[in-house]
Amino acid sequence: MKVERVQFERTGGFAGIRFAADFKPDELPHDQSKELFDLLDDLDFDDLPEQMIEDGVADGFTYSITVKTNKKTHTVVTGDSSAPEKMQELLQLLNRIARNQMRKQ
Amino acid sequence: MHKHSPINCILPPHMLEDIANNGTAAQRVLAISNLKSSAQMVGKRRALSDFTGAAFRVAAVGGKERIVYDARNGSNLPGTIARKEGEAPVTDIAVNEAYDGSGATYDLFKNIYERNSIDGNGMRLDSTVHYQKGYDNAFWDGEQMVYGDGDENLPVNERLFNRFTIAIDVIGHELTHGVTQFEAKLTYSQQPGALNESMSDVFGSLVKQYTLNQTAAEADWIIGAGLLTENVNGVGIRSMKAPGTAYNDPVLGKDPQPAHMKDYVNTVSDNGGVHINSGIPNRAFYITALEIGGNAWQKAGQIWYVTLRDKLTSTSKFQDCANLTYKAAEELFGAGSLEHQAVKKGWADVGLTVDGGGTTPPPSGDGCLSSLLRLIGAAPAR
Repeated sequence: MKVERVQFERTGGFAGIRFAADFKPDELPHDQSKELFDLLDDLDFDDLPEQMIEDGVADGFTYSITVKTNKKTHTVVTGDSSAPEKMQELLQLLNRIARNQMRKQ
Repeated sequence: MHKHSPINCILPPHMLEDIANNGTAAQRVLAISNLKSSAQMVGKRRALSDFTGAAFRVAAVGGKERIVYDARNGSNLPGTIARKEGEAPVTDIAVNEAYDGSGATYDLFKNIYERNSIDGNGMRLDSTVHYQKGYDNAFWDGEQMVYGDGDENLPVNERLFNRFTIAIDVIGHELTHGVTQFEAKLTYSQQPGALNESMSDVFGSLVKQYTLNQTAAEADWIIGAGLLTENVNGVGIRSMKAPGTAYNDPVLGKDPQPAHMKDYVNTVSDNGGVHINSGIPNRAFYITALEIGGNAWQKAGQIWYVTLRDKLTSTSKFQDCANLTYKAAEELFGAGSLEHQAVKKGWADVGLTVDGGGTTPPPSGDGCLSSLLRLIGAAPAR
């Protein structure tokens, strides 16, 4: 299964500042794309529920991750404390990629 | 927008508890999160500790009681105890800032508004610092305050955010979310959510002004001053005095806050723009405080506090808040008083005409649990 495109958006948070990235994994440095593929595999990303966000949190981030493969497109929406550990590693990686994209713009 | 996971909508609490104890890691996280969020009452929270195995973080005590935890760059809350009430400062500056900031917030609510902590009944103030790595945020999780270190894991010239305990108003902001949770219970979406955010900015700023002993005219009315690094073109995260002017930066973009109803931002993002449209009620408070003069926490703060405690409900909108603060000012200071007129001007300057005719149904502003507790003498009378 080939990952063709990843879209990431972080909204909310104390500052309410949107971070986003939209990229093809081929465009990433090799170590980043490998980390991304490993995390998506470890998480069984395609099988994750679409909504993993907690209620009752104020100023928490809301993350939306869309992964498009040659077979399907799957979107997961999650928060900070509702995300399993591997998901948090994925979020940190996507944050770094988003930051780089925003800086280049 | 308030989102519910399917697990929360379908399963009864006892089944969630089973999942929390026996499910896979991901299922456990979801189940515990859903149980936490659905258990907003203190009694139910105690029941939660039975299966989470953690000592529950709510304590009804006589006075100020704080604990600061260290997450050690992980995600497990609350983490390891770093400083408890009455202990001397430690070498970790974030720990001391969280301790002092929550103490200053407690002092403002206690000394000025006669409120004993978040729940009005001496609830312990728990804070966790060093949450995750490179976490540029602070939040209230329904039980405690949580602070990240900003971009400490990036090269200095790439950092945008400093540690979130650096600004005392951020600490007051997070703690006030707890107060709102126990009082008006403003839904965290659209206008009620923006009011929830605004209340946190108002009392966050008042904590700073109270600590610095500033008048309304002297205060900077910036939320999060010092939070942005020198790599960012900005003075803070929000300006209550001039919403929309706090930052304008190539990476972060421009501060999107409106200062007037004509510029209200309709969006699905950020729970319907709760951190964006809060600029409107924020400025209404600033104008009110400036009109009254002196220390903003005394009269303007009193009007807003009484409104938050007794008048707003979970679905209140900006117009409701305008009407209810106007009514509170009349009750506290008299019809036609300087304070009464100041509230009217505050809202007029952001495009809202107060309606003192009582078109808004009189809200209880209070949960039935609180009423019951007061009735049996378990909570202080108002």
